Amino acid sequence: MENNLIILVLMIPLATACLCYVSRGHSSAAGLSIAGSVALAGFSIKPVITAFSTTASLFNGMLYMDALSGYMMSIIVFLGLASSVYSAGYLEHELASGLTSIKGVRKYYALLHLFIFTMLLVTVSNNLALMWIAIEATTLVSALLIGLGVYKRELAIEAAWKYIILCSVGITFALLGIFITYYASFGLNAGQGMLNWTDLRAVAAKLNPATMELAFVFIMIGYGTKAGLAPLHNWLPDAHSQAPSPISALLSGILLNTAFYGILRFVAVVEPSTGHAFTGGLLIFFGLASMGIASVFMLVQKNYKRLLAYSSIEHMGIISIGAGIGGPAALYGALLHILNHGLAKPLMFFTSGRIQARFGTAKIESVCGVLKSMPLLGSIAFIGVFALAGSPPFNVFLSEFAILKAAADSGSWTVVVMFLLFASIVFYGMASGFGRMLFGCKDAAGCTNFSSGQQDLWDKAANAVMITLAALVLIFGLWVPDCINQAISACAAVIGAK
Amino acid sequence: MDKWLDLLSLVDFISVGILLSTVAMNTLRRIESCVKAYRLNSLLLSLLIFITAFTVGDVHLYAAGALTLLSKALIIPMFLSRTIKQMKVTHEVQPYISNGLSLVISGILVSLVYASLSEGIFVTGFSKNVLQISVAVIMIGLFIMITRKKAITQVIGLLVMENGLFLAGFSLTFGMPTIIELGILFDMLMVVLILGIFAIQIKKVFASSDLDRLTTLKG
Repeated sequence: MENNLIILVLMIPLATACLCYVSRGHSSAAGLSIAGSVALAGFSIKPVITAFSTTASLFNGMLYMDALSGYMMSIIVFLGLASSVYSAGYLEHELASGLTSIKGVRKYYALLHLFIFTMLLVTVSNNLALMWIAIEATTLVSALLIGLGVYKRELAIEAAWKYIILCSVGITFALLGIFITYYASFGLNAGQGMLNWTDLRAVAAKLNPATMELAFVFIMIGYGTKAGLAPLHNWLPDAHSQAPSPISALLSGILLNTAFYGILRFVAVVEPSTGHAFTGGLLIFFGLASMGIASVFMLVQKNYKRLLAYSSIEHMGIISIGAGIGGPAALYGALLHILNHGLAKPLMFFTSGRIQARFGTAKIESVCGVLKSMPLLGSIAFIGVFALAGSPPFNVFLSEFAILKAAADSGSWTVVVMFLLFASIVFYGMASGFGRMLFGCKDAAGCTNFSSGQQDLWDKAANAVMITLAALVLIFGLWVPDCINQAISACAAVIGAK
Repeated sequence: MDKWLDLLSLVDFISVGILLSTVAMNTLRRIESCVKAYRLNSLLLSLLIFITAFTVGDVHLYAAGALTLLSKALIIPMFLSRTIKQMKVTHEVQPYISNGLSLVISGILVSLVYASLSEGIFVTGFSKNVLQISVAVIMIGLFIMITRKKAITQVIGLLVMENGLFLAGFSLTFGMPTIIELGILFDMLMVVLILGIFAIQIKKVFASSDLDRLTTLKG
């Protein structure tokens, strides 16, 4: 029963993609896309809830679902729904202003759902090579989506080209890491290699440590590139700033974490043989490098979508530090941060998409007085900015604090000091960049290019999405529901924190 | 025993051929010749897999060899040639550095790989040389990617890297299960297809196939 539902969950986005591609007008495409996402959300509830208590395995162990898969899947499904609702208004505006054609719209919706499918496939892959195939597929589909960016054709193509080249090179190294892992497993299983995560996990302690160290370095380089960890992040600001805003939201909110999920799975296989010091050290190194580089670049950003992209690098760094410190408390923080960042970042990309549509530019200096001219959007953006900057009482603060506390408890004071230093630079960067846009001059009409827009039904739906996200950001900052706590503890147990 | 030894040295012989065809790409002036060198590279790779399949007598290796031959030696080069025709590019590769220098650097890369993997942590499947050669091929592929101006040559560099990767996987484990290998090859086919689409768009939008123009996004 559960197994059939898992297959159904994988099939729904594929079917939706096909339907959207052959749909006629914009409203029917948008309607189909939203209906598909709602159906996906509905049918995924049961497998996700079951996954937290028992595991499911299908196709001879090719696909597999446990708590961690369920956790990632629920975030993907939720953000997919949010993004497809928001897309309807976004695309309608682009159609109305002649930036895209109905053909582009069809392609967009089809690719959006294909993109959701590839990410779902990553979360339920048990076979490590299948996971690699799915992660590479996310790159390809999202590159096509970035290439649909309409504000500046040349820049969108440049970003897509850079993205696909750098991520493909990176992920080539990840495949080498998988080959090496496969090789390492040969001696343990009567000359038969193992690729299934569950099998490898069972014999993890007996794998050759030196071989696994080499494999993990390649995996870190490969999936780290895709997860946007510095110094392998060069593609990220371009891709995230040039993609259509609902796509940027998915890229930042969940795609980066899907790649990081690949690393987490590998940590569970590598750590028993090499010991925690090796994997943890690498993760903390990449994490601190990401925070440091992102914080410096955030100070000099002139484009608010790029500012948000660098903030994604910073938050991936924080997640990586949490995973690197290890232990139940830090892993709890890292996993909670995946959720918290996954709520706050899409929220900000949604609002900035709206701002870009109204002001016609992504330059910080050409936008001002948002709070005055668009009170609702302005206040939502206000919540998002301070949440991402890591200030209380928003959710991101809680998980950052959990990681910081775990770092202090484990006695890694260098990490604590550098974390605090970078986090304060980031706070200044976010607050000064968006502060000017939100408060700035008295009236937005004083800004060049400001167009007052009429709001139709789709826009109202998008508003509802943003209000929901903002409410969640605030609520989870004050109180984390018990079911989420339990779910995250189950995930931490999967990765290895006993 | 004699026969086995002969085949082993044949394997080494072919993998050296793969390395040489990769190094040769550094000096080729025309894009079409680069595609030809890539085709030769892939042909040798599939030949290597066929010979091992013959030695070991493994059916799945025959399948892997056939898949490699079909995708890497036939479909991808054909698609690349078609894209080059469609783009009507000038045929010069236009590297950032001179041929002599890039040959020297690839030589240094090869010797570095040999030095660092000489007492490797591996006890490899059937030939230690093959692993070193495959890592060297990956490095030279990367080097080709970063030193060429044309969009298509970057794609070729990526493909060469992947050939090296397959060689590495093959030397370590005699390849992956067939279904997985099929998936990986399909992904790579898609990469080439999509990069081809973007390369044509770059040509259209920038009125040039040089990647020099793709420098607006920074910092």
